[in-house]
Amino acid sequence: MREPALSDAVVARSTRRGFLSRVGRLLLAVSGGSVVAAAVRSQRAEAFHFCGHIYTTGSCPHPTGLPRIDARGYPLRAADGKPVDDLGRPVSAAGLPIGPDGHVLRDADGNPLPPAPRTKVCVAAARRFGFRAHTDGAWYRCCGGHVRKLVDCCGYVRRRINGDAALTGYCYAGRNVFCVQYYDTKVRC
Amino acid sequence: MACTVGAARRFGGGALGRTAAAYVAGVALGSVSAFAVVGVVATTLHPGRAWLVAAAAIALAAAAADALGLRVRPQVPLQVPEGWRRTFPLPIAVFLYGLVLGPGVATYVPAMAAWALIVLSLGLGSLAPALVIGLFLAAGKALPVVGMALSGRPAAETELLAERPGLLRGARMAAAVLLAFGAAAALAGPARSDVIARPAEDPSVAGTDLAWQQPGIGGFLVRRGAAPAPLPGNDPAIGGSHIAWHDGGEIVVADRTTLAPVVQETVAGVQKLAVGDRWLAYRQGFANGSTRLVVQSLDDLSRTRKAASARPPAQVGRPSLSGDLLVYHVAQGRSSWISSLDLSTGRRRRPRSASDHQLLNPSSRSGQLLYVDVTRCAQQLRLGRLTPGHDRVLFSLPPLAGQDAGRERGHTQQGSRVPCRGRPRPTRTMLWTTALTSRYAYVTTLRRDASGAVTPSLVRLTLPQ
Repeated sequence: MREPALSDAVVARSTRRGFLSRVGRLLLAVSGGSVVAAAVRSQRAEAFHFCGHIYTTGSCPHPTGLPRIDARGYPLRAADGKPVDDLGRPVSAAGLPIGPDGHVLRDADGNPLPPAPRTKVCVAAARRFGFRAHTDGAWYRCCGGHVRKLVDCCGYVRRRINGDAALTGYCYAGRNVFCVQYYDTKVRC
Repeated sequence: MACTVGAARRFGGGALGRTAAAYVAGVALGSVSAFAVVGVVATTLHPGRAWLVAAAAIALAAAAADALGLRVRPQVPLQVPEGWRRTFPLPIAVFLYGLVLGPGVATYVPAMAAWALIVLSLGLGSLAPALVIGLFLAAGKALPVVGMALSGRPAAETELLAERPGLLRGARMAAAVLLAFGAAAALAGPARSDVIARPAEDPSVAGTDLAWQQPGIGGFLVRRGAAPAPLPGNDPAIGGSHIAWHDGGEIVVADRTTLAPVVQETVAGVQKLAVGDRWLAYRQGFANGSTRLVVQSLDDLSRTRKAASARPPAQVGRPSLSGDLLVYHVAQGRSSWISSLDLSTGRRRRPRSASDHQLLNPSSRSGQLLYVDVTRCAQQLRLGRLTPGHDRVLFSLPPLAGQDAGRERGHTQQGSRVPCRGRPRPTRTMLWTTALTSRYAYVTTLRRDASGAVTPSLVRLTLPQ
């Protein structure tokens, strides 16, 4: 995913959507002043499905929905940042399923329940859709008071998860973006 | 009936709509109430597989009769009370007509399918499918009438029925086809399940004998028609002519009929057992969390073989023996798989493996494999051949974890994605250990309450024959 810098600005100016956007904002600025125009700007930033995402590529398949990952690419539950396995269950550092109290879940004999696979989100997407996963570049946004790292899941693919043509985004070496994921850092912004 | 409902048109002011709605409500209430009664009776009787097969056979016979256009028998020589139309306000009259017509067999019966649906609902032995049948029957009875009434040509009903007998013939043919599909689906549907013991876990079967473990109490053995009898040990396993249990570290293998000990030995950390005519298998758990699966020949206990081992957090599952074939699962953080080991030849196989879901607690019999498959969106008890191929889902539970909306609050859905369609509600009940006979599949369910306490139940499913 490309930062909306010069290239996006060029695209915005060269499309009907960009033209209508400019006309609309001009009309609003004339009629309602800069406050309304600023509101429109902020709505545009929220036009995709999670904060910081500025293009249309869909989320990578994730065990709990929103494609939140840890620093190594493994799935985290978006709501609280807890690590989850491929079944969507919160897991301990050792990968064993845990309950809401943080204790390891046990069977009726008191033995820990067996671990389920826990797969990197991009790797799981690649396995499911038949390509080799690469994590190349990333970009950063301020979301909820913390810096969010938005990570492209790249591969030698022609189509992205949406089903239409894949884009280069932040992928290297001829690879394209298949789907997107994010890592919430602890850095305040 | 379309004429009666359509007569409201002359009152104007939405009277037609109100009357049509009253008719639909009456039909729906009559049909659903009647089939609810059937469903409650079926739930109370809890008919077995034989009843379902008989009901399906009757349904298929009725479908054939409708397809051939045979005379409907038994017939009900009654019609709705015509006087209600004059004595009640029209909406109330058609509502009452709907109540009478809803069940489908209180007045003239136009097709054998009407009787067959009642029989099939009884055979299914559950309230929910009976209610669904009632709802669809109501829709089938109400919509044509309302459609004709609202079309402005309510008299067409009389014309169509009186002058075009092919129409009723076609409707009976369509009903026959749908009924045949329904009967086939009922036969091929999920196996019937019964909770046969609680708390109880880890079923083991041989012939007509069934053994299980009651946590904190010990093992139990049920012989055909008898009450559960306690065993002098834990984690019982039966197979061939033997039964095994352990008391602490002491394993006892006994004659299955007399319970007279045949072999005794002491093994540290023994947790689960499997036994057959020639072999004893046990899982050991060690203080560091590692697990090991060991097999011994009952002819010579010194012939000990390590079948599998795992370091934590990976685990080797409960063993199951069928003749010379040992099956078990291994679950670890990257994948899980089911292994089989032919103890007579030493040949190992991996009949099932998974890298994004969990395969647990297999059991085997006559070349068939029963196991639990826990995926992101469902838990399934699956039955298939030992060789990989198509498996049949015998029993299913919702997933073990919930999901979010796939998008952040205040953001659009564009590009969002959720793991499971329909947002299934997660369950606290987990499918666990299994056992298999020629007639039944057994599975333990582990129910976790809000405090984290686990209650195991033993569920028996009747296998489709």
